[in-house]
Amino acid sequence: MLIHLLKKEFLVELRSKEISASMLTFGLAVILIFSFSINVSPAVFQKFAPGLYWIMVLFIADLGLHRMFSHEKEFDTFSMIISAPFDRGLIFLSKWLAGTAFLVIAELLITAPFFLFLQLDIPVQWGRLIGIIILGNAGIMAIGSIVSGLAMRAKMSEVLLPILLFPLVSPNIIACVKATTAIFDNQLFATWQTWFQLMVTFTVVFGLAGYLFFDHITEE
Amino acid sequence: MLIPNKKIRVGYVIMILLMAANLFNVLLKSPMHPAQQWAQKIFYYHVPSAWVAFLSFFVVLVAGIIFLKTRNYFWDRVGLAAAEIGTLFTILVLITGPIWASAAWGKAWNWEPRLTTTLILFLIYIGYFMLREFGGAPERVARYAAILGIIAFIDVPIIFMSVRLWAPEVQSHPQVEMASQPAGIMSIFFFSLFTFTVLYSGMLWLRIRILNLKAENQ
Repeated sequence: MLIHLLKKEFLVELRSKEISASMLTFGLAVILIFSFSINVSPAVFQKFAPGLYWIMVLFIADLGLHRMFSHEKEFDTFSMIISAPFDRGLIFLSKWLAGTAFLVIAELLITAPFFLFLQLDIPVQWGRLIGIIILGNAGIMAIGSIVSGLAMRAKMSEVLLPILLFPLVSPNIIACVKATTAIFDNQLFATWQTWFQLMVTFTVVFGLAGYLFFDHITEE
Repeated sequence: MLIPNKKIRVGYVIMILLMAANLFNVLLKSPMHPAQQWAQKIFYYHVPSAWVAFLSFFVVLVAGIIFLKTRNYFWDRVGLAAAEIGTLFTILVLITGPIWASAAWGKAWNWEPRLTTTLILFLIYIGYFMLREFGGAPERVARYAAILGIIAFIDVPIIFMSVRLWAPEVQSHPQVEMASQPAGIMSIFFFSLFTFTVLYSGMLWLRIRILNLKAENQ
């Protein structure tokens, strides 16, 4: 069943391209603003880069989450999905996995201009950087999908989503920035292992919480 | 008569007496801390406020779980009352903490882990009230608020861990100092803790009562 739900998410996105297009263009606009507003040498930028990167990711994730759920609201497709006879936790899993995938796809296209425009050196441990980015995205999208589910049908949902999301996701953002900084500084895994563990804990805890609570969120 | 209910009247009198005794203890009976002098006295209010705030958010968690299980709206009102009072005490923590810090550390805010966690929790609860306000149908809002209360409480230990590791140089939180205080300080501190817990119970009971009456009238 999860496969069908995931297929639906990807098919809708493939046809409309709403989520990835908005995330991509907004990400590029943010990079442009970063370049103009923080006019320092590339060496100094290198120090700020991990923080800036995750600010950008959080912004585009917020945008993507809002699009993903408001789409369901606009066409009232959500009431049809929940009328199907299956575990509603699977709806959460499909939103979480698809959201993470969309975010990763958007980042694939944004990360190169980020390094290029901000004149950053590519880290030696770039493989680990990719791993951390994917894990960080999964964490953001786990709590983000829960919060979007809560905010979706509220008035001012576009305001409510970041207001709820940002403080709740803060431990994950701290861990993402710290781990990315360590990778930028080419530190050994042992020095930033704790941050990695924190990210895994966050992702697992809220992945499970979302799976368990989505039944109550989607109730009609 | 100003307060017609006898139980509430007695409660108010007990509360006023306890708070007055607490104030008397803190100002006149507690020994002066040699290094911090008067600044240390705020701790008789700061720490109990923090305790009550976190106790209150624990009540939100429990009420949320019971509401989701039973769908009894009484527990939704308990959750709302506890969230309101918890947020009120969180504000007190966020005011008294920097007052002490500016006297003791020379800086009002230096990302002390407990205070930072309290700030994040405060922001989450601002979102909680916005969700309650703009969430739509009352039945749905009750469900969503219960879930958010649970999620927020799950997040607290992760937030605290991450903030503590984030700025490891900021480790001089005063609880370590409290443990090594003389008995004179500790007994007054525990009395204050007791007073605040009684105050909290009274406030919670009153607020739930008001919310119940409101619900009956609707």
